[in-house]
Amino acid sequence: MQWEVATTAFLASAVEFVEAFTIVLVVGVTINWRSSLTGAFAAAATLALIIATLGVALVQFVPIDILRLTVGVLLVLFGLKWLKKAILRYSGIKALHDEEAIFEETMAELRARGETVSPQIHPFGVALSYKAVLLEGLEVAFIVITFGSSAASNVCSQTCGINSAAIGAAVAGLLVILAGALVRAPLTQVPENTLKFVVGIMLTTFGTFWAGEGLGVVWPFADASLIGLAVLYLLASFVLVTWLKQRKQQRLAYAQANSHTVAVGQQGEAKP
Amino acid sequence: MNVIKAIYDFLVGDMIILVGVIITVLILALINSLQILAPLRVVAGTLLIIAVLGTLLATLNRETKAKR
Repeated sequence: MQWEVATTAFLASAVEFVEAFTIVLVVGVTINWRSSLTGAFAAAATLALIIATLGVALVQFVPIDILRLTVGVLLVLFGLKWLKKAILRYSGIKALHDEEAIFEETMAELRARGETVSPQIHPFGVALSYKAVLLEGLEVAFIVITFGSSAASNVCSQTCGINSAAIGAAVAGLLVILAGALVRAPLTQVPENTLKFVVGIMLTTFGTFWAGEGLGVVWPFADASLIGLAVLYLLASFVLVTWLKQRKQQRLAYAQANSHTVAVGQQGEAKP
Repeated sequence: MNVIKAIYDFLVGDMIILVGVIITVLILALINSLQILAPLRVVAGTLLIIAVLGTLLATLNRETKAKR
């Protein structure tokens, strides 16, 4: 069992599970639970098939160095995307991702379509639930397979790495479902941006490390340099958030000054 | 075409990040494979980190300009 792999997979998967669960919940409440759960289980079965085939193929046929480079680059792409969004939200340039808003928006959309609670299986409800779980689940599957297979080391094989990541993702899924069932409301309490920020840092850190190894970089202190990379990206992110906040304030001040000048100009023109 | 766009959106969805990472990988691959660039291999890790942070800075800068 590789704890760092399981933890990262847990955090990354939790974000995706929260998003998928919100949609499943909306379909369950507005259409019916039968349609919602049918779609969710069908998507889970599709995902299991994808993981079984892709996971096995990767482990058996791709050399570890090529896998590390490919996965490293993909993780950097994924990590930078998440980190960018989280930094923009922390700095106030982009609105915080609000699960409650998604819940209300989807509810309004369903009401507008005239959907009501009925016991029969509803194709639209099944499709909506299936699509949400499949798309978010694909991201989880991607993280589990790539992360797990690249984490192979002297003490842990590729299969062991995938198993560790899968355990992390499974625990995240169970916790999200359990929390959702208990509160019976969209999971607004989960600070999604914080989670995304942490996962963005972790994905970028592991991605840089593995891409570097795949490109022949010899990291000082071997695996321990992961901590240094994470701290470096964390500090850089805080600097970027501060910089963006300052830019936003400057822009606001400039806009206020401009509107004041225009107002004064208009008053001057109005006088005879 | 839709499939390619869907894969692009799923993986990255940001041209600056994609181009930045591809250029970085190409440069590091050249450093790793060409004998003439062998002295740069010592700083390859540092170059990778700087390139990743530079890409992040570039995409954030673009976002702030786009919001104007």
